Amino acid sequence: MVVSVGTPAMAKEKVIKIGNILPLSGPSASVGIQGKYARELATEMINEAGGIKSLGGLKLENIYVDSKSDPTVGVTAAERLINTNKVNILSGCWNSAVTYPSTQVAERYGIPFIVPVSVRNTITERGFKYTFRIAAKDAWWTRDQFGFLEDMKKKTGEQLTTMAFVYENGDWGVGMAESWRELAKQYGYKVVLDEPYPSTASDLTPVVMKIKKANPDVLLLTSNASDAILLTNTMAEMKVKTKAVIGTGGGHADPMFRKNCGKNAEYMFDVVEWEADLNKTGIPELNAEFKKRHGYDLAGESVDAFVSVFVIADALERAGSLDPKKIREALAATKLCSGPGMIVSYDCVQFDENGQNINAGIVMVQYRMIDGNLERVSIWPESAARAGYEAIFPMP
Amino acid sequence: MDAILQAIVNGTLTGSIYGLAALGLTLIFGVIKVINFAHGSCLMVGMYAAYWVVLLTGVNPYVALIVVVPFLFFFGYFLQDIVIKPVLEAQSDVREPTEVIIVTTGVWYILDNLTLMLFGAEYRVVQTSISGTSFELGELIVSAPKLYGFIATIIVSVAVVWFLNSTKMGKSIRAASLDREAASLMGINQYRVYNIAFGIGTAIMGVVGCVLIPFYYVFPTVGVIFDVKCFIIVVLGGLGSIPGALVGGVIIGLIESIGAQFMASTWTELIVYVVFLAVLFIRPAGLFGSKLDW
Repeated sequence: MVVSVGTPAMAKEKVIKIGNILPLSGPSASVGIQGKYARELATEMINEAGGIKSLGGLKLENIYVDSKSDPTVGVTAAERLINTNKVNILSGCWNSAVTYPSTQVAERYGIPFIVPVSVRNTITERGFKYTFRIAAKDAWWTRDQFGFLEDMKKKTGEQLTTMAFVYENGDWGVGMAESWRELAKQYGYKVVLDEPYPSTASDLTPVVMKIKKANPDVLLLTSNASDAILLTNTMAEMKVKTKAVIGTGGGHADPMFRKNCGKNAEYMFDVVEWEADLNKTGIPELNAEFKKRHGYDLAGESVDAFVSVFVIADALERAGSLDPKKIREALAATKLCSGPGMIVSYDCVQFDENGQNINAGIVMVQYRMIDGNLERVSIWPESAARAGYEAIFPMP
Repeated sequence: MDAILQAIVNGTLTGSIYGLAALGLTLIFGVIKVINFAHGSCLMVGMYAAYWVVLLTGVNPYVALIVVVPFLFFFGYFLQDIVIKPVLEAQSDVREPTEVIIVTTGVWYILDNLTLMLFGAEYRVVQTSISGTSFELGELIVSAPKLYGFIATIIVSVAVVWFLNSTKMGKSIRAASLDREAASLMGINQYRVYNIAFGIGTAIMGVVGCVLIPFYYVFPTVGVIFDVKCFIIVVLGGLGSIPGALVGGVIIGLIESIGAQFMASTWTELIVYVVFLAVLFIRPAGLFGSKLDW
């Protein structure tokens, strides 16, 4: 029962509510918070430019819920945001394990769910009508990791035969490892170590010891921020040498990683969707603004979150209605190629029938010391490489 | 074989640091009979204190002890005096004050979230002069910060044992832990003893903070990672037993590092729990626990 007391003469201004489920505490908090900041910046830009014009200038409003990286919390949050907060659109959840069940809730209620980052393949392989993913999926990341290695073999004549997989034992790491195994077989690598580890481990020395013992040519890693830091520093301490160490974004792309590993991370490779040195208009200005507010650079995760808000705004603009079905139709027909949101490495955001962004692309970066600072330098594909730089392979 | 020897060395060093972290918990439990759920948060406070001192002054983390340990001592002293004491007083006629568990849980949440508000969720690592350094003995690599941690553990344990056995205050603490009523009758102010004991237990967390800083990162919920380990170690070694905490810590460290050489490291945790249950099955009071009922 709702009793309105003293209705003001003016109708209360309506807003478009976006419910964001993000890890704001716990092991993934650092990326979750970056995603939140990026959403805030994008929302501010859209609202300042007059909101959604086709809906009479309605403004966007973000509601944030902390998922604690816990699938159950994510599902409850999705239910609550839909039923209690009456959100028009959902967004999140960074952790694939949380995104997977939360998108199911949205599908059931018929509320569009935008997934800026969560790479598990199956998220957009279930024939869902209301899930839209901006980021590339697992399979594409690993495809390019191996593609890069093949390219390097050709260019340098370096023999690479053995491989080690070390990955966090969550949804994301395990999914990556599955793709790695298939690809390693396909390309004829010998897998000398296949090691999952808990992201919250207090000591990763045992894992590093195993890497040392296996002595692989190539080490593939999938880590969150804390374990990426710990692994890198422990490998330096234990003097582990390999020809190539390749990360899979996430922890290795986290600005904290760069700050905390310093020289120990030099020459490591990482696949990302985005890098600040990309040749796109607007990136330097936007990055400067973000850095001024929060003290660190934008990263792949925050950029996808940033873009996602513009994708939402664009769809709302074309839908001209808050009916979830209409918003969904508009999202499915997305072809966003310009505007302040398009700071990604590819040209347009377009979704296939499963809601997967078909253009999401990957860049390989290498950590390099430049004037005493550790920088992430885009080096592959060569078309995207930073001017004047190329990969140093194998790692010295 | 080299790998196993290396694993034994790493496990012993890491385990001794776990043991040091558990020492503070076991001391508090042994004296006040309080299960301190805020233990991990006290460790977190110790780590942040060490982090800021090292970052702002650039001193060696072991010099930072001069500031961090007293700070943590008073932090624990007043935490006991202001927050826990009223509950203990209200429950003075209860044999096992359960409300204290709820209070310490509250402290845990408040501390962790306060830190989150103050310093943000980010991981912080401070580059110290001993970070990432190691000694090489032939094939064997010994991590310098962990070796220093091992030495610190030995020194702190000896100091705590000496303090409990040889000083008047130490004897009062032991008396209060044996029988609080009898101790009160003998003129021991039990609450003051509790404050001191809690202060010492927390001060040890300051030492752990300084030991961990060179090779570990700090973030608001870092305590949670060590919390469960500390509780397992304390129960495994025997509640309130100082050698128990150290031996328990080393056992856990060894299981983790040697176990990981034969199986995926995600499985070592399982082995830890299996060994834990097996020990409790054979010796319900823990390895060094007394048969006396607490």
